[in-house]
Amino acid sequence: MALSKLWTIAFRDLGRNRRRSLLTLIAVALGLALLMVVHGLVAGTMEDTMQNTIRLETGHVQLRAPTYEQGKISLQWKDLLENADALAVRARSLPEVKAASPVLWAGGVLNTGDESAGVRIYGVDVASAVHEPIRQGMVAGAYLAPDDRNSILIGKHLADSLGLAVGARVGLVVVSGDGQPIEGVFAIRGIFATGVPAYDDTAVFMTLDKAQAFTNTAGRASAIVILLHRQDDADKVAASLRGEGVAAFTWRQMNEVFLQTMQSAMGYYVIMDLVVMLVVAVIIANTLLMAVFERIREMGILAALGMKGRQIMAMFLLEAATLGLLGIAIGIVLGSLGVAYMTRNGLYIGDMSSAASGLAIGTAMYARFDPPTFAGLAFWTLIIVLLAALYPAWFAARQEPVDALRAL
Amino acid sequence: MTIIQLENVIKTYRVGAVATRALNGITLDFQAGEFTALVGPSGSGKTTLLQIIGCLDRPDSGAVRINGQDVTRLNANQRADLRREKIGFIFQFFALVPVLNAYENVELPLLLSGVPAAERRQRVLALLESVGLSDRLHHRPDQMSGGEQQRVAIARALAPRPLLVLADEPTANLDTANGRQAMEIMKKLNEQTGTAFIFATHDPRVMAFARRVVKLQDGRVVDDGNGQRI
Repeated sequence: MALSKLWTIAFRDLGRNRRRSLLTLIAVALGLALLMVVHGLVAGTMEDTMQNTIRLETGHVQLRAPTYEQGKISLQWKDLLENADALAVRARSLPEVKAASPVLWAGGVLNTGDESAGVRIYGVDVASAVHEPIRQGMVAGAYLAPDDRNSILIGKHLADSLGLAVGARVGLVVVSGDGQPIEGVFAIRGIFATGVPAYDDTAVFMTLDKAQAFTNTAGRASAIVILLHRQDDADKVAASLRGEGVAAFTWRQMNEVFLQTMQSAMGYYVIMDLVVMLVVAVIIANTLLMAVFERIREMGILAALGMKGRQIMAMFLLEAATLGLLGIAIGIVLGSLGVAYMTRNGLYIGDMSSAASGLAIGTAMYARFDPPTFAGLAFWTLIIVLLAALYPAWFAARQEPVDALRAL
Repeated sequence: MTIIQLENVIKTYRVGAVATRALNGITLDFQAGEFTALVGPSGSGKTTLLQIIGCLDRPDSGAVRINGQDVTRLNANQRADLRREKIGFIFQFFALVPVLNAYENVELPLLLSGVPAAERRQRVLALLESVGLSDRLHHRPDQMSGGEQQRVAIARALAPRPLLVLADEPTANLDTANGRQAMEIMKKLNEQTGTAFIFATHDPRVMAFARRVVKLQDGRVVDDGNGQRI
């Protein structure tokens, strides 16, 4: 029998109980739309967090002394780069490199007299484009000048939590590489806001020269932070700069833990996908089972006319496929609208997430269009719909004609 | 020519522990082109006999041969093929597919048989004309009267040019005029096409159309002969 006629019957059958078909269609559409929005938000947040980390912290490539450990913020000379300026010049000479700058990191405590807070001190070349996000994020006061010797920049979160304003004087304490505590008094020259609360809560900037002098590191740097024109060139640039006494790390290597964590988190989203799809499957199965029970006599008539079990089964599967495809089409439209809204307006989360995890997550989650993922969700929704229809279709097909006709 | 042979056919239905013998050793032959009524009171086995002849059900024992082929050994798909090619059905409640219009309902068995489109169209139009429904081609069942629906069902039963048409109480839900019209159409088509008709009924007006009447009681044939005599 022509498939088109089976499809015609299946399509028209959907119109018999329009309200039920419509509700089922809405369930499929909303299920898919929900998954699209959630996956769009996850993809957007992952990408934004990664880019925030690269932009504010790691850069695309870092050059460090082989013994320097990322998490320890060591100030011991053996862990620092001695020839930092020369390495930065060499990095900048590569065509793939957009900017390269030495940075000295130190852990410390900021005191206001009444209160104190743990901070991470960044000694930076204030003229370098590597720190452009800070320059552009200034919300009060001024950015550092190259010859600034007693000024610092702090984040807005830190300023707000300690009640500090531009011009205020604060104490900074660090422990030098040989274990001696060092104290200094600095004036707050400016306050910045990067949009990443975790960063604005702990970062303190000063000039590289001052930081080196303050921490007794004698012209050494923790790392050369390199920004590239294209992040895909990271491996190539790292390989060309890696050498005797210089370790090179790509953004992917430096953020391995974050990337692995996100991969693990995706497992939870798969569970959510399964739950949503299971709900859709139950609704589809229920709709089709009701349709089978209502039309049991017709199955007998069709069987009497010579329709085989597999053709009756195909008719119900086509009915499910029609419902599924229509639902998926509407779901894609609704989901795309939802993702578009979340891409533009985002979902405000404040600083809860970053405070909890220390990740470079902004104050809002923004969605991204992720066509391969959305196509996969649509495909699996259709598969689940068809799988859910298998039992009702099989049930219809296995009816003995005489039993089905007995209802006549 | 004998088209149907039944030999000592027995069929028993069981509901829980209660067994009811619907057919109790039926032996009958039907010839090509016959117009036969199966009559008898409710529970006499008329519908069961039609279902067994129509390969919708299988007997517990005995032989059922259609054109010499024993159909009791066929599997579900083979029986579906046989029904599609050789047997037309008319039911008491018209039994049209509600989402298809008159044209599509008559076309359905031809689609199942793979009849080419041009021939399909010609046969469907001719049949609907012969049952007087040329002006109702695009009406769905719920837009037609009971009499019209039954005429569509008659056209559908004859569409594949079957060996025989089985009709179960075809006039039971029709008024006198529509019942008579349906019977006249079946009689006319029987004469024109040579297709055998076997219909179950307990309506004396319907019996009057039959050339042969087989009377059943308690699952047995108690009389078999000329319609006028019975």
